[in-house]
Amino acid sequence: MFSFFSKKSSAKTAKDRLTIAIMSDRKNNDAFPFMDEMKAEIIEVVKKYMGVKTIEIKKEIEDGVEALSIDVQLETNA
Amino acid sequence: MGIIIAVISGKGGVGKTTTTANIGLGIALNDKKCVVVDFDIGQRNLDMILGLENRVVFDMVQVMDGEANLKQALIKSKISPNLHFLAASQTKDKSVLDSEKIFKLVTDLSAEYDFVILDAPAGIESGYEHTIEFADRAIVVVNPEVSSIRDADRAIGILDSKSQKVKDGSEVLKYLIINRINPKMVQSGEMLASEDILDILNVPLIGKIPEDKGIIDASNQGKPIILDTNAAAGKAYARIAARLCGQEIPLENVEEPENGLMQKIKEMFA
Repeated sequence: MFSFFSKKSSAKTAKDRLTIAIMSDRKNNDAFPFMDEMKAEIIEVVKKYMGVKTIEIKKEIEDGVEALSIDVQLETNA
Repeated sequence: MGIIIAVISGKGGVGKTTTTANIGLGIALNDKKCVVVDFDIGQRNLDMILGLENRVVFDMVQVMDGEANLKQALIKSKISPNLHFLAASQTKDKSVLDSEKIFKLVTDLSAEYDFVILDAPAGIESGYEHTIEFADRAIVVVNPEVSSIRDADRAIGILDSKSQKVKDGSEVLKYLIINRINPKMVQSGEMLASEDILDILNVPLIGKIPEDKGIIDASNQGKPIILDTNAAAGKAYARIAARLCGQEIPLENVEEPENGLMQKIKEMFA
C-alpha cells in the first residue's frame, strides 16, 4: 500500500513525452515528402563533377527566415 | 489471390519474428494455406523460432535469382501441412533485394497461398522498404515502451508513403499488436496502457499479448508458443490468427492481472 501512494505514474509521463516527440517527427517528415527524390537528384548533379559520400538536407528557421541547408559530404580523395 | 501481410516494428527486439511464426502457424491451424517469408537478409532467425533451421537448403534470394525454384526452397512445417516457410539468405547483403524480383516472388506465392506473411527486418532502411513495397496489409508490433512506439510511428510513416498500394492511390490496411504487456505494471501506472498507445499511433488493435516467460522456452525448443494452449501469450496469438482468418472474437483485457479479484481482496485487508 505504501508503494502505491509514493510511486508517481511514469506511464503518464511516457504518454506526454511520446505525444510531443511523435508530433514533431511527423511534422518534419511531412514537410518534405519528396526528400529522397530530391537528395538523389542533387547527388546525381554533384556526382557529374566530383565524388559524393552523403548528403544531408535540413530546414532551418532563424529570425523568422526559413532556409534550406544542404550539406554535401565529398569523398575524401575527390 | 492470397493476402500479402508485412510484419513490421521499426525497433528491433520487440517480438516481430516470434509474432510472424505464431501467427503463421495459427493461420495454418485455422485450415488456411499460409507461407511465412523471412526478409531479414543476413540475420536469419525465423527458421530457429519455427524449429526448421536444419531443413533450409535454398533461400529466398536464390529463388529470386533463379538459382532454385520455389518448390525446392519452400520448407513444410512439421506441425501443420498448411504452413510453409521460405528462409532469408544468411550470406548475402540486403543490397541484393530488387523490386522487380520481389514483386515476382510475392505474386507467385500469393497465387498458391491464402496468406503470405513477410517478416520485415528491424529499422527503416532499404530492406524494410522492400518488405513493405508490395504488401496489402501490415501488422505493426510494438512493446508498451517509448522507443518502440516512436520507431513504429516512423515505420508506419514510411509504409504510408512508399508502398506500391499507396502510390496507386489505395492504402495498406494496418493492424496493431501490443506485445509484452506486464499487467501489474499497467495497473500501477508504470507501463503505458493500450488506450494510450492507440491514442498515439492511431492504428486499429488486433490483439494484446501479455509478457510470458514461456516465450523463451518456446524459442529454445523451436516450438512456437501458440502450441501451448495453457500459455497466456499462446492463447493471445491464437485469437489474433483467428481474427485474421475472419472470425469475430472480442478483444480481451489482458491488462487485468490473472489474479485480479484475489489481488483486490488482499489489498482490502492490507
